[in-house]
Amino acid sequence: MIVPLGHVLLFAGLLFVAGLAAVLLRRNLIMILIGVEIMLNAVGLVLVGASAYWRHPSGQLFALLLMAVAAAEISIALALVVYLKRSRGTIDVNRFDGMKG
Amino acid sequence: MMGELLFLIPMLPLCGALIIMFAGGRMSRKLLAAVASFSVIASALTILWLWPLAAPQTRVSLFDWFEAGALRVPVEILFSPLSAAMALMVTGVSALIHLYAASYLHNDPDVRRFFALFNLFVFAMLIIVLADNLLLLFLGWEGVGFCSYALIGYWYRNPGFAAAGRKAFLVTRAADVLFVIALLWLFRLTGSLSIATINQQATSLPAGTLTIVALLLLAGACGKSAQLPFSSWLPDAMAGPTPVSALIHAATMVTAGVYLLCRLFPLISLSPTALAVIGLVGTATAFYGASCALVQRDIKRLLAYSTISQVGYMFLAVGAGTVTGAMFHLITHAFFKALLFMVAGAVIHLAAGEQDLFRLGQLQKRAPLLFWLLLAGALALAGMPLTAGVFSKDAILVACFALNSPWWTGLGVVGLITAFLTALYALRLVYLLAADRDVTIGHGPVPRGMIWPLLPLGLLALVGGQLNLPEVWGGGTALQRWLQTPSGGVGTHAVEWGLAIVTLLLFVAAWLGVRYRFRAVPMPPGGGVAAFFTDGWKIDALVRNAVSKPYEATGRLLDGFPERWYTAVLPDWLGRLCQSAGRYFRTFTSGYVTHYLSGMAWGTFLLLAILLIGLLR
Repeated sequence: MIVPLGHVLLFAGLLFVAGLAAVLLRRNLIMILIGVEIMLNAVGLVLVGASAYWRHPSGQLFALLLMAVAAAEISIALALVVYLKRSRGTIDVNRFDGMKG
Repeated sequence: MMGELLFLIPMLPLCGALIIMFAGGRMSRKLLAAVASFSVIASALTILWLWPLAAPQTRVSLFDWFEAGALRVPVEILFSPLSAAMALMVTGVSALIHLYAASYLHNDPDVRRFFALFNLFVFAMLIIVLADNLLLLFLGWEGVGFCSYALIGYWYRNPGFAAAGRKAFLVTRAADVLFVIALLWLFRLTGSLSIATINQQATSLPAGTLTIVALLLLAGACGKSAQLPFSSWLPDAMAGPTPVSALIHAATMVTAGVYLLCRLFPLISLSPTALAVIGLVGTATAFYGASCALVQRDIKRLLAYSTISQVGYMFLAVGAGTVTGAMFHLITHAFFKALLFMVAGAVIHLAAGEQDLFRLGQLQKRAPLLFWLLLAGALALAGMPLTAGVFSKDAILVACFALNSPWWTGLGVVGLITAFLTALYALRLVYLLAADRDVTIGHGPVPRGMIWPLLPLGLLALVGGQLNLPEVWGGGTALQRWLQTPSGGVGTHAVEWGLAIVTLLLFVAAWLGVRYRFRAVPMPPGGGVAAFFTDGWKIDALVRNAVSKPYEATGRLLDGFPERWYTAVLPDWLGRLCQSAGRYFRTFTSGYVTHYLSGMAWGTFLLLAILLIGLLR
């Protein structure tokens, strides 16, 4: 393996934190979903990197599964975003507080 | 195979009750009365048909009621000479009273409920009489209690009558608790609830325990039989229709206590202390009832106190060890007291519901036959020589004197004094009903259906003594030979003759006294002393002050501190605590997705940090 595993993990960690920051700090629902995707990809990167390091294919299989699940998830999430935009007229998460106790 | 047929005896009245309950809605009034009467008559005929089974003591078990560990309760009946005689008396008198009730309630709107309960009562009473298991007996015991309650409050729209029913129920239930304790204790001691087994094993029980159990049984019997100190419910029970008073509160149910003591006599007789107490309770109640009956103004209350007094004699008989005497008096009393009650019902009917003795009168002119029937019953009660009542009462007193101990002689003397009082109030009743004064005229003549059931009872009240005529009178003591029960000490013929003469003298003295007192138109008794006796020695007030009021005060006290604290103050605090905690925690839920996500993220960091620290260690 040309790239050392430590570099892969560091990069994936940075990517995960960036995604988490987007999820927590952004108010636009689409940007939050993008943050989630970034976090998922960070995890996928770790799986692939680990698979290459241990020379074992299961990590790559997991990464493929992850992509399929992410695609399904984002399609449903985007449908919800469209629905919210139509029904409430906005996709600003701070405008949705229906679960307030 | 014939044995199983014995179950027909209680089942026939039960079937009658069920038919009336479930199919009575479409029946005419006459059909209802016919079904009710026929089921009881059929039961009486069954007893006569199966009479040969009684002498060898037939014991039949139908099925097991329930079984749990050592406790096995079979539905088992014992057809012995004692239970057969009692059952025949119960069904015979019931049949006559059913026929009487059919006429008596001829314009009552709710006659279906009456006959259903009446038949149910006969069923429960026969269960008491025939049961060979104390728990089965207790089923009947509570059954008659319930029917008595429901029939006392039969005219339940009158709140006073309903309250009388409740009072009867509560007072007898209080005594039943003691009976149940005795029942469970006997099961603990002998491992069985069968009366026969208990009587067999009684000799092996320790004397002290035996005395306490016998006294508990006595308390249960006292409740049912309205003996002191549980007597106060019976005078109020007269709120029910007169046939109910005649059947339940004179002839059958109130004698169930005596019958219970007779069935368990082998157990009770082992404790001289218990026998002495039974005799004392009986004598005290006999005297108490007679003294109260002397001044009553209400005809039915007079008869109620008289019943209390006469049942007291039966207890005295059991105490003196003569089961035969108790049963003899029980049977003759059933005849003449049922007769007197039904005559009273007819008299009340004649006077349009008037029950005050001082507004009744002229009976011998308005209904001569009724007057002669009244005379027959009253003379048997008063103890006129050669009537039924005097033989049974003398048998009891002879048994007392034959024991030759100061205690029983004393009780016998009190019994004699009570006999004098009994003669006084019985003759007073006759004189007051015959008094020549203006009376209210009621609903016309007495229906014939109310008269002819009284004729056999009138005859029995006069000649019922033949059942157990003592040898001194040249009789064969038929009842004694049939029952084969203990009949106490044997008195010498001199004692019996002496007693007969004393009773005769007492009767004549009472007659002369009453004749002198009531020769003119009598005035009602007045004054504080009369009021004291009219209210039954103020026993109700005593119970109220000694039981009800302390109970209420305790209730109020407990209501003040622990109850209010536990049910109001403490729950209030807890509620407020939960409320304020909830108010604080709801600020956590802002409703914003971002807040929840950051909570999740921080939580994850925390978990990771803990894991990291764990790894570093």
